[in-house]
Amino acid sequence: MDPLSSGIQEPFDLIRLSLSERVFVKLRGDREMTGILHAYDGHMNLILSDVEETIMIVDEGAAGTVSVAKRKMDMLFVRGDGVILVSPPSRT
Amino acid sequence: MSAVHGRVTQVTSGHNNCHQISRLAPSSSNALMSGFFGFDQPDLEKDKLKFAARNLQSNDGVLWGAETYDGLGDTLQEGGDELNDETFGDIGPVDKDFDFSNPKLPETENVQSYRQTVNQSPLPPQKAPTASSAAPLISLESIWDDKSPFSFRLNGAARAPSRDPATSTPRQSGIRTLQEIEAEMRAAAEQSREAAALQQRQQQLLLQQQQQQREEEDRYFRQRQQEQQEQEQEFQRQRLLYQHEQQQLQQLQRLQQQQLLQQREQQQHRTPPPRMLPVSQSPRFLEHQRQILLLQQQQEQQQLVRLQQLEEQLRVEELERQLRAQQISSQNLYERQQPSGPTLAEMEARHQQQLLQQQQMRQRSQSPAARNGHHNGQHNVPLQDNMPYLPQSIQLQQRLLNEIAQVDFFRDMQGLSQADQEALRMEAMRKILETEKMEEKRRRKAAKIAHMSRYNDLMTQSDKDFITRIQVSQLVSQDPYADDFYAQVYSAIARSRMGLGGEDERVLKFGSSGGVGLGAPIKGGNRRPNAMQRMQQQVERIVSNARKREEEKGLHAVHSLQGALGKTSGRSYKASPRQLLQVDPNSAPTSSPTLSNAQPHPHISKQDTGPHDAAAQAAKLGREALGTAADTADLVRRDPLTHREVLVTLETLYDLVMSIEQMKHDEPLPEEQGEEVEQWHQQFNALVEQIWAKLQVMTPLETSNPHPFISLLSVAKGKKLLPRVTRNLDSQRMFTLLTLLIAHFSQLDVIADAPLLETPEDTPGRDDVDRQTQAFLSSVMQSILPTIVKGELRLVAGLLGLLIDRNDTVAIARTKPGVALLTLLLTRVELIKQAMPEDNASIPSPEDAEHWQQMFDHLFDLLTPHFSRLFPTRLASGEAAESQDQPVWQFLAALALHATTQQHQVLVTSLREKVLENVVSAKKGWGMSEEEREAKLANVDLFLHALGLESSQIAV
Repeated sequence: MDPLSSGIQEPFDLIRLSLSERVFVKLRGDREMTGILHAYDGHMNLILSDVEETIMIVDEGAAGTVSVAKRKMDMLFVRGDGVILVSPPSRT
Repeated sequence: MSAVHGRVTQVTSGHNNCHQISRLAPSSSNALMSGFFGFDQPDLEKDKLKFAARNLQSNDGVLWGAETYDGLGDTLQEGGDELNDETFGDIGPVDKDFDFSNPKLPETENVQSYRQTVNQSPLPPQKAPTASSAAPLISLESIWDDKSPFSFRLNGAARAPSRDPATSTPRQSGIRTLQEIEAEMRAAAEQSREAAALQQRQQQLLLQQQQQQREEEDRYFRQRQQEQQEQEQEFQRQRLLYQHEQQQLQQLQRLQQQQLLQQREQQQHRTPPPRMLPVSQSPRFLEHQRQILLLQQQQEQQQLVRLQQLEEQLRVEELERQLRAQQISSQNLYERQQPSGPTLAEMEARHQQQLLQQQQMRQRSQSPAARNGHHNGQHNVPLQDNMPYLPQSIQLQQRLLNEIAQVDFFRDMQGLSQADQEALRMEAMRKILETEKMEEKRRRKAAKIAHMSRYNDLMTQSDKDFITRIQVSQLVSQDPYADDFYAQVYSAIARSRMGLGGEDERVLKFGSSGGVGLGAPIKGGNRRPNAMQRMQQQVERIVSNARKREEEKGLHAVHSLQGALGKTSGRSYKASPRQLLQVDPNSAPTSSPTLSNAQPHPHISKQDTGPHDAAAQAAKLGREALGTAADTADLVRRDPLTHREVLVTLETLYDLVMSIEQMKHDEPLPEEQGEEVEQWHQQFNALVEQIWAKLQVMTPLETSNPHPFISLLSVAKGKKLLPRVTRNLDSQRMFTLLTLLIAHFSQLDVIADAPLLETPEDTPGRDDVDRQTQAFLSSVMQSILPTIVKGELRLVAGLLGLLIDRNDTVAIARTKPGVALLTLLLTRVELIKQAMPEDNASIPSPEDAEHWQQMFDHLFDLLTPHFSRLFPTRLASGEAAESQDQPVWQFLAALALHATTQQHQVLVTSLREKVLENVVSAKKGWGMSEEEREAKLANVDLFLHALGLESSQIAV
């Protein structure tokens, strides 16, 4: 039995692998966050803990410079309609 | 203009005053109006010119101010100047309501006195023209068109109000024919110039004469004004509306008056023109009016008679107008100019009634002197109660009246201080509101009950039962626990937290076929539990009824037909796929066949050199004891599991664990039939086998680095899974697992990454390691604890040997999990030692004891150079640091318990500085809190007690 293919029938199974793991989530509105995934559903609503959110603020006035704002939250509910991608954080 | 309006609205009875004026002398009221609107005499003239010019331009049917034009002009009778005669009273009653007695004025004396008052008040206008001027308009309309006043009023109201005289003047003339107005305007332009000159001269004279009087009155007025302001604000809104209407009416009237004036002046040039000065709108004037009203009341009867006489006279005058023209003074002009007929009178009458009431109340407080001062020679307009009522104006007036009455009531009440009254009123209002609210609530409730009671007895008890049955049947499920899972687990946790035992599942079960989840226990409240009990009873009854019916059916029905339409109940969910291989878990070897061979691992034997000999021996012993030595024969080296493989495996494991937990829930009761129990056991064991296989504990030790099993523990959820897995493993497998874990202890991520914890800054990596470490300590250590606690000395010695043999002991000892594990082992041995005297059976064999001693000595020797470095690097200070140190002190204490005297000395020597530092700093308390010092001392004592010492013995 191939351990990699077993139990993976649909895309959400891949997200399931990341349950209680740290994940990287890209969101609409130039936002990204990493946090420990606790739960998700079919709408990609996510519950994350130990979240660090990174917001890219594009200053359109001054030659499109990008500034970055960060904030941390203990626990977060992310509404699924803003989720672009969910992935394991890049392993260093 | 707008400023004037602002003030105007603050004066209580302003409209009354104007009203009166218009009744008394329409032409002069026009003058007042124009003054009010900011015209001077010359302005009026200019306006007329402008007006005429516009008229010319728009003669051919273009309407002025088209957006506000209401089409009134279309309904008017156009043309003939004979209508003018009507207007001026030449012909008899125009309207069925026409009443000459009303507009009549007392003869010359009255007019003269009126003029006086007008002249007395040359100050800017205070009062907006309001109700009073509505009357003339209506009457005008009735004259033009013989329509009921209502239609006009409606139209008039529909017009957009405009306060600007320049714009409103042309607009109002829409009622008349253009030609007419044009002609009038042209004439007026010439004549009004003369009139203005005359008037101004006259005015100046009068102004000088009455300067003194004015000042006096001003003072008084200001006083009054303040009082009135309060009242006025309440009326303001309504009045504004009213005012707009009135303004338009006034302007119409003014035009009319101008016409009249022109005629008069043509006839008799010696007569001074009527006052068209702003004089009459002064605040003082308002005061006059109020007093006039008072006087009016008194003189009402008398005047009525007089006015009737005057009316007669006037009629004669109108008939012989040319003749009488020279005799009639300009005062008569006022009277003549009131052709408005009965509607005007009506309006005025209504208005005055109301005003009188209001002012009577108000003037009670007025000094008689003040009253008298203004009353000399006032005209008085009679009240005519016999006039037919105008519904619209009545409505408005009654509303005003009510409000006035209310305000006056409060004013009377407020003889005390203003604040007291205010408070009292607020209180009263609040109470009233409250009561109203309560009443409203009660009424709504009653209404609701009444509404519902319509359906009383609509359903019989059996109907209700039937409905309930349907509802309850929806609640019954095959697996009440799973369907109610979260509530069940939550309530279990809550109960255990509250220290309550009790039933483990809040589920109503009906045999094996289903039940109802009851959710979390309900605290407090009497109603819900009762409801629950009732439901419980009901469900039970329903279920038993169903059973009975089932049995009856079974007796009578044809068996072959039963279930033909599908099964109603059953345990179909249990029908998991039939096992292809049914392995008897008891007969099958508990461990891999490859492990049955207890040969020492060649790789291990290669390491066994030098000082490690003893350790290797011990490790071998341990392995033998466990029978878990790896066989190298079929060793296939593999790459360690990738992260993803780990995750996939873990997910599979979680699935298995959850299904096994579910199975445990569905474990058949022992008294049930043997077959079912057996089947259940088979399935259960199959699941355990799967889990065991997935854990890959039996993979040979050296297959990969890290070992697959260790890899599974590298993620937090793997660590968390372990306790749930080990619960289902028998002790033999647990020993195997434990051995593997200890053999590869240094491969664990928490050991390998432990140095990260020492990094001073707060990095994500450190946080992660910290998290993993916590998970390891709480989950993995927790799951191996029962096994170690049950272990014999021989086992423990073997494990310790294995640990020392296979790992970098010092490195492990410097990590939290390592310290925890070592402490655990040492404590277990200590417990065995303590139990020895009482429990003969547990006395270990001499070899075991000796072996343990060997292991311990070896450990001690290994750690000796590093004792003081076991403590974690100080990241934080204070209490937190002390709590971090505590496990180390604990371990050292455990070490000390087993140590010989000689080893004690070594311990003390190496830890002397640390102990002294703690004691000294605690006793001197360099800026430390009490808790911190206590923690320091407690830690030191923990260790010193093991040596039979105490921190208090240490002299600082």
